[in-house]
Amino acid sequence: MDRKTILMDYVKNEIMRNRNAKLNENEDLLSAGILDSLAILQLVAYIDETFGIQVPDEDVVYDNFKSISSLVSYLGQFK
Amino acid sequence: MAMRYMLSHAVTNWAERNPDHEAVRFSGQSLTYAELETRSNRLARILREHGLMRGERVGIFMNKGLESAVAIYGIMKAGGAYVPLDPFAPVGRIGFVIQDCGIRHLVTKEAKLSQVEEILNLTTGLEFLVGISEVESKPATCIPWEALDSVPSGALDLNLTEQDLAYILYTSGSTGTPKGIMHTHRSGLSFAEWGADTYDLQNDDRLSNHAPLHFDLSTFDIFSSSVAGATTVIIPEALTKFPANMASFIEDEKISVWYSVPFALIQLMQRGKMETRDLSHLRWVLFAGEVFPTKHLRQLMEMLPNVRFSNLYGPTETNVCTYYNLSGIPEDTDETIPIGKPCANVEDLIVDLDDHPVLPGEVGELLIRGGVVMKGYWGQPEKTAQGFFRRQSFGHFDDIFYRTGDLVQMDAEGNYRYLGRKDRQIKTRGYRVELDEIEVALLSHDGVQEAAAYPIPDGQGSNLIEASVILKPTFEIGDSDLVEHLSRRLPPYAIPVRLDILDDFPRTSTGKINRRELQTRAAERMTQ
Repeated sequence: MDRKTILMDYVKNEIMRNRNAKLNENEDLLSAGILDSLAILQLVAYIDETFGIQVPDEDVVYDNFKSISSLVSYLGQFK
Repeated sequence: MAMRYMLSHAVTNWAERNPDHEAVRFSGQSLTYAELETRSNRLARILREHGLMRGERVGIFMNKGLESAVAIYGIMKAGGAYVPLDPFAPVGRIGFVIQDCGIRHLVTKEAKLSQVEEILNLTTGLEFLVGISEVESKPATCIPWEALDSVPSGALDLNLTEQDLAYILYTSGSTGTPKGIMHTHRSGLSFAEWGADTYDLQNDDRLSNHAPLHFDLSTFDIFSSSVAGATTVIIPEALTKFPANMASFIEDEKISVWYSVPFALIQLMQRGKMETRDLSHLRWVLFAGEVFPTKHLRQLMEMLPNVRFSNLYGPTETNVCTYYNLSGIPEDTDETIPIGKPCANVEDLIVDLDDHPVLPGEVGELLIRGGVVMKGYWGQPEKTAQGFFRRQSFGHFDDIFYRTGDLVQMDAEGNYRYLGRKDRQIKTRGYRVELDEIEVALLSHDGVQEAAAYPIPDGQGSNLIEASVILKPTFEIGDSDLVEHLSRRLPPYAIPVRLDILDDFPRTSTGKINRRELQTRAAERMTQ
């Protein structure tokens, strides 16, 4: 599975806790109230666990976590 | 200076004295005091033209922005009470609040259109929508924001008094539905003036607004700033979730007074890369809503040696009623810091279980009397009566105190120390939650036989919530079904982080659910 699908599944199943939730890759996860402080920490830990990428604190910012597609594009710099 | 007895008078006065000074900033845009004055006058006129009467409640339903300040002051200038609705709460809960306090007028934004349509379908009575140009679901009068430009900008002359309702803040209620805490211009202004005076706010101060509008911390950010003629800088909700963004916000916006829950400050310290930022404008860090764990506070104070720190305490019913300005923290103990002494114009009284005053140093419930205290709970005269204690004075007067429900003890320096709650109300990340409300919400699911909700310490001075349920025989549902059920009824922060489905609960000798045992088991699992 590609990163986009993996992250979409994680956000739906573990953060929204609703397998059948509708989620668009460009949806603003913050304005929609999907991500809160706790969920962002979970997501950062999951990215480390799953892709072996440690996102440094200074990169955990709105621009990089705004949507699934902005997150995938940020992670693109890591192999 | 002109007489000031309404919250909006602060803006009107500064619009005359310092018209071009920024009153509010958001994402690089701003409104001067003159602009805030005229825009809020225009909104007030629109609301009156559409039938708003004195004392009526007006909802504010939108993500934060410059319009938030226009809405707050415009509604109050029209003689209404503003009711901030959590933009992230489920529509069912928002619909409840709208119905509960009989809101006919809603101030919103185009971006909320689909939720507004849902709310219209769920409720009756909503007639006027400011900030939306068209709805399909139901007939309603729509007034887009642009319509404000063609309305006269002069102030209305309405003969309002400080006893008029100014705002209603809804919080978690133990009976399963939220309750509305009513504040008047007097109670709001009492707090705002105390804040401006105590922290010596000046025109050139820039106050952060981190808290959502439905959270009482926001009243300091907005009203104390206006009283002082200072600038409120509203932080977009999205940025408040990112410590690194918040640190750069404080630098870029030259914030001089910060106010938030301790959790946001701990995040800022641990992940915000504060050491790479120029935070030299910061002179006060204020916090409230929860206990600040001493070891984290000490560390934060060491990182910001030129900043003063203050712990503000008070249930939403009293705005703020005690405070404690810190002067260093001892190295050798992590004892919790005090909540301090009563604010000016506040009388404190500590009573035992029989409502008899205790001796200094003894444990009791803190009761509060003074200008900052609420008027009561909207539409709930019995609950209001229970919330107050009457002390007879001179045989024929009653001094009326609000019962905080908080247990405190006075220390040797005369400062109060917070010990805990009398009931099952908890704080999670600064939000006030009645555990009973979560249980009631779980029990409203057809498949749930019994439910228990309990707090688990998160190691950062706050709580996470967990819950367990027993299902009715023959029901086969999973925790995700229950989470979905709850997410239609409760705000996101009140949804348990973990839900266990059990065959039976540990019981007390009388057969009651042993919540303490469930809590202990969960806490043990967390530390393993």
